[in-house]
Amino acid sequence: MSLLELEAVHKRHDEETAGRTVLRDVSLQADAGELVVIWGLRRSGRSTLLRVAAGIEPPDAGVVRFDGHNLADRGERLLGKGIGYCQRTLRFADGHSALDHTMVGLLSRWVPPAKARLHAHAALERTGVAHCARMTQRELSSAEVVRVRLARTLALRPRMVVIDEPVKGVELGERDPILALLRSLADEGLTVLSSTGESTGLSQADLGLVLGDGQLRGAPARELAPVVPLHPGVERQASG
Amino acid sequence: MKAGKASGDQAEKHDTTPMRSPVNWALLGLVIERPSYAYDLAQRFERRYEEVLPLSNIGHIYTALGVLAGRSLVEEIPGTRAGRQPKPHYCATPLGTLEYRDWLIGQVGEDRRRNQLFVLALGALTNEPEHLREVMTGYERACLSEGMHTPISGAPETASDSASALLGRLGEEENRLAVGAKLEWVEYARQELKKLDGRRRG
Repeated sequence: MSLLELEAVHKRHDEETAGRTVLRDVSLQADAGELVVIWGLRRSGRSTLLRVAAGIEPPDAGVVRFDGHNLADRGERLLGKGIGYCQRTLRFADGHSALDHTMVGLLSRWVPPAKARLHAHAALERTGVAHCARMTQRELSSAEVVRVRLARTLALRPRMVVIDEPVKGVELGERDPILALLRSLADEGLTVLSSTGESTGLSQADLGLVLGDGQLRGAPARELAPVVPLHPGVERQASG
Repeated sequence: MKAGKASGDQAEKHDTTPMRSPVNWALLGLVIERPSYAYDLAQRFERRYEEVLPLSNIGHIYTALGVLAGRSLVEEIPGTRAGRQPKPHYCATPLGTLEYRDWLIGQVGEDRRRNQLFVLALGALTNEPEHLREVMTGYERACLSEGMHTPISGAPETASDSASALLGRLGEEENRLAVGAKLEWVEYARQELKKLDGRRRG
């Protein structure tokens, strides 16, 4: 059983696109430790696919399962815990720093402030922006913004990270380090589901797929990266 | 074998035609980079181009030098043929340097020619829609695979600054961006073929 499974998913956008079918019989599986990248043109439905996979939007037909559970039954409860959806935009509250922003998700889940600060710091460090902890949004570069977004997601210790167009708008020279970061997260055992409109984002993916005309195509043979548990201690406790 | 007069003379008869051999151009580049003698150039050629221009016979380098000399793109450096084991050194002529630059810029046109060739060859399948679809699917998968296998460069501060590492990175990036353009082209072609299919049925 794969960690994420989409089975014959259909999705239609009625209001925005005059009844256009954006996902047509889409099936997809992603395992722990896999970096799966969806390539598609603008308005191909790749963002919709990611939102459906993350349980943010329900499919019109078909099933989305995370760890064997149908997201239609437990969608929102999984978000942020099992599934980490990385917001496309970053909006700090007025006067807030990157650290404050990274802590928000933890605090809203009743994690005590001291512990939340610790986790947020660790996440910022993991994504390579510990030096930005005190910075405000205006002080961050486009690459640092992506890293802070990722840190906020990782602080919640998800098993899967869903990130839409991680290198869009990022300076050319800063793209590869971000892709390397995503690759390393997958190598640590996380499932990473990402989308891209540029071929750059496909680099070193375990599975690259094209979304066009509502259909998911192309499945070159998987080359699985070695799976290393991200939080071996936590896993032992859970299974024990 | 030497980059002898014979091969040079032979080349002179054809020196008005465009020089198409990538081996000749690559060798000219090496001479421009650092003037040297035939054996050293052959060694450097193998090191630099071993993956993209494998030589079936190292003798090709001597022949290529003869062609370049015949076209006045390289010339022997006077006084280097002396001694018991003469090693005539070659350097690029001003014409050679200019032509090399023009050839590099002209690679844009070469890409276009290659693309045209591909599309024309694909045209042979327009009456076989099933085959055409299969080819498009296979081509798309090949593009995806190419994109997935492109390495991610190291962080700028850890990346090697050696010229060969830089050349490697530049080559990979050009390829990676080209893969994106190909994937977009497949999407465009699919849509157009779908319309054609609709017109034929209608």
